[in-house]
Amino acid sequence: MATEIASARGQLSPEARFLLLALPGALFVVTFLILPMLSILVFSFWRTESYNLIPEWSLDNYVVLFTTPTYMTFLLRSLLTAVAVSMVALIYSWPVAYFMAKYGGRYRLLLSLAVAAPFFTGVILRITGIQGIMGPVGLINMGLMNFGLPPISFLMYTPTAAAIGIAYLFIPFMVTAIYLSLLNFDFELLEVAKINGAKAWRAFFEVTLPLNWIGTIIGLVLVFVPALGDSITARFLGGPNAASFGQVLSLQFGETGTWALGSAMGVVLFLVSSFVIFLMWRSVNLRRSGFTGREG
Amino acid sequence: MKAGELLARLIGGTLLLSLYLFLYAPIAYVIYVSFQKDLNWPFPPSWTLAHYAALGADQTYREGLWNSILLGLGSAVICTAVATMGSIAVLKYRSRWRALMVVIFLCPLFVADLLVGISNLLFNRQVLNLPGNMGSAMIGNAVHCTSFAFLIMLAQLSRYDWRLDDAAMVFGARPLRCFLEVTLPLIWPAMLGAFLVSFILAFNNLEISFYNLGAIPTLPTIAWGSLRFGLGGELFALAALVNGVVLGAFAVMYLLMRYRVVSFGHRE
Repeated sequence: MATEIASARGQLSPEARFLLLALPGALFVVTFLILPMLSILVFSFWRTESYNLIPEWSLDNYVVLFTTPTYMTFLLRSLLTAVAVSMVALIYSWPVAYFMAKYGGRYRLLLSLAVAAPFFTGVILRITGIQGIMGPVGLINMGLMNFGLPPISFLMYTPTAAAIGIAYLFIPFMVTAIYLSLLNFDFELLEVAKINGAKAWRAFFEVTLPLNWIGTIIGLVLVFVPALGDSITARFLGGPNAASFGQVLSLQFGETGTWALGSAMGVVLFLVSSFVIFLMWRSVNLRRSGFTGREG
Repeated sequence: MKAGELLARLIGGTLLLSLYLFLYAPIAYVIYVSFQKDLNWPFPPSWTLAHYAALGADQTYREGLWNSILLGLGSAVICTAVATMGSIAVLKYRSRWRALMVVIFLCPLFVADLLVGISNLLFNRQVLNLPGNMGSAMIGNAVHCTSFAFLIMLAQLSRYDWRLDDAAMVFGARPLRCFLEVTLPLIWPAMLGAFLVSFILAFNNLEISFYNLGAIPTLPTIAWGSLRFGLGGELFALAALVNGVVLGAFAVMYLLMRYRVVSFGHRE
């Protein structure tokens, strides 16, 4: 009806209205996210000379990147950390989110907001907090020393400490994503499965998990992407043996000023995370997970 | 209740409690230490407000606070505007571009902060010839927050009845007047939610702001600089204050949702 009225008054078609409303935001994202990402792709084939990008095309940056063993070590370490953190977060978050969605009752909202809220304080102040607990002069180690015990060495400037820090920063994403998915999940389907003779674990793996797989994948991506690109946690909690790829990447934009090499690192970081997202997305079977139980 | 279900409840509940302990112990400790004289081993407690006084007296922090507020406001205005328009478009109109637009609006979620920061730095400098300043930092942060604002708007507006708008049009309202007098009064809570969340995110962002601000300090970049020299008293005070404000904002949101003033996408 709105269409007829619109055309009768010589106004815009729904398609035109859609574009009028959606395009400003889309152009905004394209201009300030996609074009900059494309521009670092271009710069990654240039070279830097005394803090200036020189447009001389070559593959040198990538050659340096892939033939310098330390860079590859950093990349591999970041990848392993990100995979490990995402997996631990995934396994931990499922029962938590399930509990909130199924047994939370009228406290559900409070429980879920309380998981999300700490995320919003920002990376650096959250790391301050975790250093207060785990750092060399933090609560745990000072407490042990006060009781004449040796400090826990794996909490002081190790890759494990960095991984715990990353998990601390991003686990709220995973729990929230799975929780929101479960909120739309019809738990009665499980009863149906049980009536038909399925054991609890089988009902979980054949009904609950597939139907909430998209939410789970979104959670995984939201944890994996920042974990792979982490530079701050590694720096403040990880120490010299935990230097991450993001950390050397940010160095190229600090003291050394080698922007072209830094751009190449950025491109590699983006490609690795896109590849992992692609692999995860391939595991989605839309026919099984597109329908998430009850409508609206 | 069967034994299996009891066990499931027990395990889930225990894990949830440990998650809260994990998430909130550092926050509680930071707040406690911020009032203590001895920062390293504040037991037994000896209370003081000295760290807050030091924080308040520090000119850099005051400047940083002002810049962070400005940055947060600018970014929040940009992304609330584009996310509101985008979410209305996606929910109200059918179009063959719909899926593409949703993907574009959500793709900032899949790029790490660090990459948004450095790519904007080089793009502004090299292509647009702009030096790092407040404007470019606002834009960089707004790009990152747009996805969050968009998701909040979508969740909240998914049950808005667009026929109300049609009805207004039938009675001859122009689109702008229809938006101001029919849509806006109904969707402002969603816009407020999107605005608050993007403000908080931009206010506390480190990496995007750091690479785009040049020499202009914000609270997170000052905190970063000071954390390099170890945990100082004013850092504890700052973390305690920001945590207090963020948790306070969430408490307000909770109460608004609990008493059904707004829903921010939550359903019972």
